[in-house]
Amino acid sequence: MGTVSIKNLDKTYPASGKNQAFRAVKSIDLEIPDGEFIVLVGPSGCGKSTTLRMVAGLEKITSGTIAIDGVIVNDLLPKDRGIAMVFQNYALYPHFSLFENMAFGLRLAKTPKAEILRRVGNAAKILGLENILERKPAALSGGQRQRVAVGRAIVRDPKVFLFDEPLSNLDAKMRVQMRSEIAKLHARLGTTMIYVTHDQIEAMTMGDRICVMKDGEIMQVADPLTLYNQPDNVFVAGFIGSPPMNLFKGNLERREGRLFFHETAEADALFVPLTGRLAKLVADHEGKPVVFGIRPENISESPYATDSTPITATVELSEPMGSETNAYFKTGSGNLIARLHTERLLAMGDSLTLHLNLAKAHLFDATTEQIIR
Amino acid sequence: MPRRWPTLLQHALIAALALALFYLSTRLFLGGETLIASGVLILTGLAIVIYAWERAYTWRYLFPGLVGFGLFVIFPLTYTVYISFTNYSSANLLRFEQVVNYLEGETHLSADTKYPFQAYQVGGEPATYVFILSNPASPEKRYRSETIPLPAAEPVVHPLRLVNADETPPGPALPLRDVIPLRSGLQKLSFKLPDDLVITNTSLRDFGPRLPTWQRDPQDDSFKNLITGESIRPDRNAGHYELVSDGPSGPAGQKIGPGFRSWIGWGNYVKIFTDKGIQGPFIKIFIWTVIFALGSVVCSLAVGMFLAVLLQWKELRFRKLYRTLLILPYAVPAFISILIFKGLFNQNFGEINLILNALFGLSPEWFADPLLAKIMILIVNTWLGFPYMMIVCTGILQSVPDTIYEASAIDGSNAVHDFFKLTLPLIFKPLFPLLVASFAFNFNNFLLIYLLTGGGPDMVGASTVAGQTDILVSYTFRIAFRDSAQNFGYASAIAAVIFILVAFISWWNLRQRETALSS
Amino acid sequence: MKASTQERLKAAAAHTLLIGFIALILFPFLMVIAISFRRGNFALGALFPTGDDLSLEHWRYVLGIPYTETMPDGSMRTVKASTPVLQWFWNSLKVSTSASLLIILLSGTAAYAFARMQFVARETLLKSLLILQVFPMVLALVALYALLQLIGEFIPGFGLNTHPGLVLTYLGGIAIYIWMIKGYFDTIPVSIEESAKIDGATHFQAFVRILLPMSAPIFAVVFILSFISHISEYPVASVVLQTEGQWTLAVGAQSFLYEQNYLWGKFAATAVLSGLPITAMFLFCQRFLISGLTSGGVKE
Repeated sequence: MGTVSIKNLDKTYPASGKNQAFRAVKSIDLEIPDGEFIVLVGPSGCGKSTTLRMVAGLEKITSGTIAIDGVIVNDLLPKDRGIAMVFQNYALYPHFSLFENMAFGLRLAKTPKAEILRRVGNAAKILGLENILERKPAALSGGQRQRVAVGRAIVRDPKVFLFDEPLSNLDAKMRVQMRSEIAKLHARLGTTMIYVTHDQIEAMTMGDRICVMKDGEIMQVADPLTLYNQPDNVFVAGFIGSPPMNLFKGNLERREGRLFFHETAEADALFVPLTGRLAKLVADHEGKPVVFGIRPENISESPYATDSTPITATVELSEPMGSETNAYFKTGSGNLIARLHTERLLAMGDSLTLHLNLAKAHLFDATTEQIIR
Repeated sequence: MPRRWPTLLQHALIAALALALFYLSTRLFLGGETLIASGVLILTGLAIVIYAWERAYTWRYLFPGLVGFGLFVIFPLTYTVYISFTNYSSANLLRFEQVVNYLEGETHLSADTKYPFQAYQVGGEPATYVFILSNPASPEKRYRSETIPLPAAEPVVHPLRLVNADETPPGPALPLRDVIPLRSGLQKLSFKLPDDLVITNTSLRDFGPRLPTWQRDPQDDSFKNLITGESIRPDRNAGHYELVSDGPSGPAGQKIGPGFRSWIGWGNYVKIFTDKGIQGPFIKIFIWTVIFALGSVVCSLAVGMFLAVLLQWKELRFRKLYRTLLILPYAVPAFISILIFKGLFNQNFGEINLILNALFGLSPEWFADPLLAKIMILIVNTWLGFPYMMIVCTGILQSVPDTIYEASAIDGSNAVHDFFKLTLPLIFKPLFPLLVASFAFNFNNFLLIYLLTGGGPDMVGASTVAGQTDILVSYTFRIAFRDSAQNFGYASAIAAVIFILVAFISWWNLRQRETALSS
Repeated sequence: MKASTQERLKAAAAHTLLIGFIALILFPFLMVIAISFRRGNFALGALFPTGDDLSLEHWRYVLGIPYTETMPDGSMRTVKASTPVLQWFWNSLKVSTSASLLIILLSGTAAYAFARMQFVARETLLKSLLILQVFPMVLALVALYALLQLIGEFIPGFGLNTHPGLVLTYLGGIAIYIWMIKGYFDTIPVSIEESAKIDGATHFQAFVRILLPMSAPIFAVVFILSFISHISEYPVASVVLQTEGQWTLAVGAQSFLYEQNYLWGKFAATAVLSGLPITAMFLFCQRFLISGLTSGGVKE
């Protein structure tokens, strides 16, 4: 059973030379049930790869525990943890043929010849590599190399697959193809997979659950849609989604009995009347600094049925995409991006009335950056 | 985990090595080299810890290299620095204990007692002899030796046994003229009388006992001469024994016996910078060393870079062939090329003078004239060094994008302008560390100077050997190994100075490179 | 002038210049080859010896084949080579090969530790090695001499006047090679060895079965550079090796050119004989070497 249980996991790189000591992972907890495809995502330096490498046993654990299948693996060698890993740069052995690449681990473990043949053959069949097993990695394309790397992992018959940004070195088209292949592989094998990426689209499309990390801490763990629709904090809200969620810093003000969000800015400040759910939710935050967030697709030229609120804004730039137009409107601290389903071209300087779907807007406490619920 | 034979083999190997080293240290210890024995022992211990302790695996990879480095770089370096503070030289060659041993071992022949001998040949091919000696003090006693082959390779002491005076000799005694050819063999021959007195050959007729010349006073290691009654004591600063008072051997303070090594502090260093006879040549040599190193770098860089730029020209045919031919001077081992040039430049038999003579009637004295010798050295070193510069420049030039030349061509530039305004500034920065390294290499380019001119022609008026074309290393080498004085201490002091200079240059270069990389 | 004519003139000038320069560069080599086939030991005669001038006496001499020689007084005598040129060649080969192999062993393992492992004072150690290495061995000869004398007393066969002893002294010069190999290791992604570790390889297995085969090119470069520099090494060899039979080529070749006993022809034959294989090896591996050199090594 490929459960992975991470408790109070901490990693501090000691100071060396000019570099100061660096705490890469800050006491995180994560429970991964058997058979789950979990994605660790976050910007570079957030500790996602470090966490994965600690699971793999390539990085020493400073404190805390990692248990795989109920066994604490802190002091086990990588080969004894029941894991297999696929690296970003494939990490194929360039002087071995594909067959030897996949068989290397089995040979080291003194597996009988027949068994090696069977397992490598099986993996090759799954990945469609049967006809090129005698080739060297240099003779392969990027996608094929990545497939061999995956094959090498399959051959190990692990309890947990670890993927460290496996698609970053591929071109865009190949990436999409491999993405679905890995997803299919997961469906076929049903093994636990931990997948690290910095690409939130990869995370959203592949993960059963997604674990968003920042500065060594877990920001939120949830399934893709929860993460998208109900972000816990400003970071997750801004990180997931493309184009990203509009986020504005400002204050809650009451004028003439109504609650407004007022952007902190010298000129062109956004001024949003709050109604419905949001207005009730944030009543006790009146006068306090908050962050207002709304996704581009929740802005439209026509009013919404409920919790709709109008604002006027000036077009600064528009990017017609055909089916929709990404329009950038001038606000006090930057741009408000709206994904408008409009048939006409917008010109710079046009003044528009926009309707915000407040049912899907979010307010965050500006000091804690946590969502106000 | 099952024990596999590789780990067992590994353990067996470690054990065998440890045992061998342990045996070695025991032998060293018994041989009296306590310090070195403990050094070997510590290394053995370290090796065992490193190779048996799982957590020290990093040092398993480092250990052999570091030991080699320590033994053959750091030890010689420290030893050299140590010597630079002593007066170690051919006049002060031995250690103090060795001088004491030497004096203790010095003997003289007793004038009183003589043992005349007769030699008898008893076999030929190889010739063997029997000796019979008589004792004038008690004529009834005779001593007879065993059968001895002469001449012997090594000095040997043969036992003598007492025989009756009337015992028949093994044949007729050899006449004196037959003894003469045996002289060299006889000189290596000693006999041990039944009462353990050892007698050595003193002449063609006699053997006689040897008596120690000196009596040692273990209190202060002073000695008394048993013949003349004079006393000598060690002067530990100067590194020799001297007479305590005026005597037949000389006035008080007269140096007696071989010198020994002694600690003289900064003496050698002070000598470099103050002694007129040394300071003059030292500064001259230092200046020439810098000129030589700098000149070599500049000349070979100029030629090498010119060729590299020329061979960059894509329209030029046979580029590959040209490049290969131009690399030849670098491919041929330096000692061969240098010696070839030594021959070609030879004033009387050399092909270069032959040609110059035929064309212009010139016959320059390449090895006798200081200026010509220096020019010759620079020519040869440019010849040796330009291919390296060409290779390096070619490599760096490839990183310069072609588009900038295309852009400058559109701007109306020409080749010369391109080179000085574009190429040179662009490649100089990556080139610089290599130039510094090349400077440091030439600063210590012993092989060239030593094989080509040997440092000659000699400087006049220097108090140590010093040549006009000597650079610091070759100068040092000559002081230590080729001068009759073999002044190791002084040579080591110069070596230490050179080391500090060059180490500073490379440290600085390393830092430059680092800052260049980080920026 | 038309642009094409100008180009052609430029090319002609470049070729003339290059050919002239190459002629100048090759002059010493051609001279020496010619001299090795020329009768006698003096620089007389044509660049290409013919007829009476042409003689294989020097070649017979260095190859140890008896030959007849004309004495200065006109008489003839048969000479059997007494100078063991071939022996020296063999000695040089032995010493340089074993020194280079051992240097690869020592610097390869050390470079692995420097490239892949974290340990106390790693950077400092790495830099100190390079800086201490500039201490020229010529100056440490007194110490090396004493050291070998001592070693010889306790481990016979490794002392003065032995080849193993000479090889030992060469083992100190590993710093530059450690740097070169480390530089190459640094270009190989760590993940390949990590992958091997996940596959169950130990440190040592990952090193020997994965990293080493991948680094074959740099080891070739190090081997050749070290080989060439040790075959040319003169000062240490000249002090350590004391009897003629033990000499290396670098020490032996020098002995032909004493002012009192100037054997120019014999030297020339020796030079050609010993220079050719080494030069050929260098040119053969040129491409390898040039990449190694441009990455920062300096010929020693």
